[in-house]
Amino acid sequence: MLDGNPCSIISNEIRKPGKGQASNKVKFKDLITGKTLEKTFKSGESLEGADVMELDMQYLYNDGNEWNFMDPNTFDQFTINDSNMDDVRGYLVEQDMCVVTLWNNNPISVTPPNHVLLEVVDTDPGLKGDTAGTGGKPATMNTGVVVQVPLFIGIGEKVKVDTRTNEYAGRT
Amino acid sequence: MRQALIKKAKLLEKIRAFFDHKNVLEVQTSHLLNTPTTDVYIDSIGMSVNSEIQRQSKFLHTSPELEMKKLLSQGSGDIFQICQVFRDNEQGSQNFNEFTLLEYYRLNFDHHQLMGNVAELVKVLGVGGEVTKLSYAHAFERFAGIDILNTDFDALKVIAKVHDLSADFEWIEDLQIFLFTALCEPKLTQFPICFIYDYPAGQSALSKVKGCIAHRFELYLSGVEVANGYDELQDAQAYRQIFNRENDKRQQLNKTVISLDTDFLTQLEKPLPQCSGVAIGIERLIASID
Repeated sequence: MLDGNPCSIISNEIRKPGKGQASNKVKFKDLITGKTLEKTFKSGESLEGADVMELDMQYLYNDGNEWNFMDPNTFDQFTINDSNMDDVRGYLVEQDMCVVTLWNNNPISVTPPNHVLLEVVDTDPGLKGDTAGTGGKPATMNTGVVVQVPLFIGIGEKVKVDTRTNEYAGRT
Repeated sequence: MRQALIKKAKLLEKIRAFFDHKNVLEVQTSHLLNTPTTDVYIDSIGMSVNSEIQRQSKFLHTSPELEMKKLLSQGSGDIFQICQVFRDNEQGSQNFNEFTLLEYYRLNFDHHQLMGNVAELVKVLGVGGEVTKLSYAHAFERFAGIDILNTDFDALKVIAKVHDLSADFEWIEDLQIFLFTALCEPKLTQFPICFIYDYPAGQSALSKVKGCIAHRFELYLSGVEVANGYDELQDAQAYRQIFNRENDKRQQLNKTVISLDTDFLTQLEKPLPQCSGVAIGIERLIASID
């Protein structure tokens, strides 16, 4: 917990001066605002832990304003406001499992699986005989996200996308 | 892989040529010592040797400083050493249990002359860009709006809290160092070669103190601290005082109290000549050369 918001730690770099006590430079993401911040702590300093839970949930559907998820164990449903879905909108496929972060039992963020299967809905025509690794072209997926794909990929094909890097990760 | 080896080998070659040209003699001192360092926040790696003859405790050196100072007191003249040093309880991407240190001493230099010499060296080694010199007080004033030399411990704690930083420190010098790390160091990334000099007396370590100022400096290359230099203390009494002060702090922090290095103190009955010395982290230096 920092400034009243739950945060996840991105990196924790130890800074040890030639003379003097070590300190830690911590980069963290505010899970509510989504902002990345940096703060220096005295080594050994402790912070209040956040009541944050990560649960595997199934993505059901979105109605334009809200995104709906279900805990497959309890069948509890959770909704997340569209404005909190910025980075992940393009990687959620209905029925796919993803990780939903709950803070005090309210969903605050969604992490899609590392790889998702998306369908190409628009791209330039493919080139015959081309093999992977010789450049690429942009392709728009059924979820709206644009991914750089090899030249031989055509409309209607399903491709595997790495959601962490937004990179093409193979055909099915 | 081989490229990295070549880069380091060439760098060491250039360092040796630089010192050869200036008549600074390369020396080697013992890495295996009888006494660990008293430095409050540096831990020596201990080991036991001669278990089949007569078991003895030894410690890997954390820096060749005291051994080189023994040579200086015996009249070695200008000397340098490139060696591996070892420290316990280090971790992170910039701190290791073993690293390469270049340590050198120049007779009749004060810390400003030595800064000039270090600037010349890093330029010869291929670090590009302007050289900036900022006093510690000026850096604090400029980057954090703090009058560091005239702010007492309680006032500094209030400032730390205003910045939403920890104020839980035993000694003012530790809080000063912490605030420098948190508020000033991030601003140093804009300077390719930056010397910070003249520290508050409480951070003197083994440097001379004049009034409320310790005559020492640190070198930052694009925000990364790579060197630490002093206008060196000269006589045994001054060193004894520092070692005792560090031991007092160790005791308060429940760390091991170190028995004084009597060998060193006896040697320094014949004091060091006026000299300034600096330790430069070679791996960090290499990282800042293209």
